[in-house]
Amino acid sequence: MPFAQQLWQAMLRDLPLISGPLTLFFAATIMLWPGDLLLPSNKKHIWAPITLGVLAVSAALVANTANGSGFSSMFQVDGFTRGFQLLCTAAAFITVVLSQPQLNALQEQTVEYYALILFSLGGMQLLVGATDLVSVYFSVELMALCIYILVAYLRTQERSIEAGVKYFLLGAFSSGILLYGISLLFAAGGGVTTNLLQLNQKLALATHNNSLLVFAGVLMVLVGFAFKVAAVPFHMWSPDAYEGAPTPITAYLSMAPKAAALAAFLRVFGTGLASVHSDWSAPLGFIAAASMILGNVAALRQQSIKRMLAYSSIAHVGYMLLGVLSKDPLGGARAVWLYLLTYLLMQSGAFAVIIHLQGTGEGERLDDFRGLARRRPMLAFAMMVFMLSLAGIPPLLGFFSKFYLFMLAIQQGQYLLTTIALLTSAVAATYYLGVVNLMYFKEPTGVQLPRLGTALALTVGCTCGLVLVGTCFGPWLLDWAQTITWF
Amino acid sequence: MPSMNSVLLISFLLFSIGVVGVLIRRNALIILMCAELMLNAANLNLIAFARHSGTVHGQAFALLVMGLAAAEVAVGLALVVALYRKKSTIQVDELDLLKG
Repeated sequence: MPFAQQLWQAMLRDLPLISGPLTLFFAATIMLWPGDLLLPSNKKHIWAPITLGVLAVSAALVANTANGSGFSSMFQVDGFTRGFQLLCTAAAFITVVLSQPQLNALQEQTVEYYALILFSLGGMQLLVGATDLVSVYFSVELMALCIYILVAYLRTQERSIEAGVKYFLLGAFSSGILLYGISLLFAAGGGVTTNLLQLNQKLALATHNNSLLVFAGVLMVLVGFAFKVAAVPFHMWSPDAYEGAPTPITAYLSMAPKAAALAAFLRVFGTGLASVHSDWSAPLGFIAAASMILGNVAALRQQSIKRMLAYSSIAHVGYMLLGVLSKDPLGGARAVWLYLLTYLLMQSGAFAVIIHLQGTGEGERLDDFRGLARRRPMLAFAMMVFMLSLAGIPPLLGFFSKFYLFMLAIQQGQYLLTTIALLTSAVAATYYLGVVNLMYFKEPTGVQLPRLGTALALTVGCTCGLVLVGTCFGPWLLDWAQTITWF
Repeated sequence: MPSMNSVLLISFLLFSIGVVGVLIRRNALIILMCAELMLNAANLNLIAFARHSGTVHGQAFALLVMGLAAAEVAVGLALVVALYRKKSTIQVDELDLLKG
């Protein structure tokens, strides 16, 4: 049986590369069946610690995976893969912790919630290492299909379902565009390969013959990815999905899929479509500028804090696209990774505060932050740190990552885009400082707040501590980003 | 053997029908069908160009895409059913709770 033997050997050789995602898939499957069957229905809350354990194991495996490429060069492990995989895993970990108060309060502790988080995370971990358009597309879809369900998870609430349906329909539309773009690139490359490196060489040759085909393909892939990272003008789903989704899933949406999709963005455009850089740099520049401007301006007039954070995350994506635009893909990848790392800390902290305020039914509206400093001084201080850091005010952590990203853009000669980025950062400071203003200088509303639960207190404490510690070691963080490499 | 340009033309027409359908129809199920049409337009390209070059890579991709389309429909229909139970309608322009 030479074929079976070959297959077996190939599996033995390549499977260690995806040990992290494999752990997630196995664990999630076993949790769904027979795990859930064996567990009495009043014990469902123990799935949370089990999930956290699985995530920790997966993170350890991911961190220790050796460099290599496998599965007919569809998947590659390098510093870049490991770095982004760890970011996504950390985001999922924080999400599970943040989910506890709400799931307990609504009595919605089910195994499906955790299994879907694990499956979607598996998709993300595969996505960041994908080096072939086939694996890129299927990982994106695995990630997205699970997240559609998570957004609509509170199926008794109309808002949640509405958000899920909107997200799903636009997501299905965008995945159609992405796949059509991929098929055009496949056609332009002569119909022989979807591997990013090979495709890069083919496209470099093909540009003369069928430049229209290449251009259309590149544009469609760009649109597909812009949908996934919610960049203007393909952002319509994001504020609705953010507002309607359960708040912990909103936190997840704003961190993990974004990190994974940006990693794929960097990999596909940095290696696969590098030879046709001139085809996509102008449209991507437009998308980045539009995201920065519209994201920040629209965030100014929001009354719901979840919507405000949704629009501001659109703007943050705009900044990060500066890194994708960079002609030095590795430098761009490092800057984006650092930005995502700091963004993850600030965003998860801010969401922990929002989820705490939501415990009593408030926290949705910005007005609920009125006078928080007098009612909960520590919480208000932490929220202030997150807001100032998100605004990128020096010397806080958010400043360093922004600085690194903008410096790179200036070195690449993107003066116009960097100017827009700097100006819109000033706009962003307005609404972030607006929250601080509400907390410190307005009269409290008088509603009694519940006690801060352990999980939320730990999250707020850890993230706030890390932001402050990171602030002191900002310059060293830049060195740390050098571990992001690809071969 | 049809020329590659005619294949591209047909797949583009199919894709356009899908895009236009998603943009103008307001029934969630029809939007879902049109999105599937877009996937099939891409499949047509993949299969035709794989056949043209004599490799199986694109054909395998198309097979996988069909599997994915089925998964997408499963999730999509579940969401649409949940929506119908809640609102007794699947017209997407009546989804107006979230805006701003």
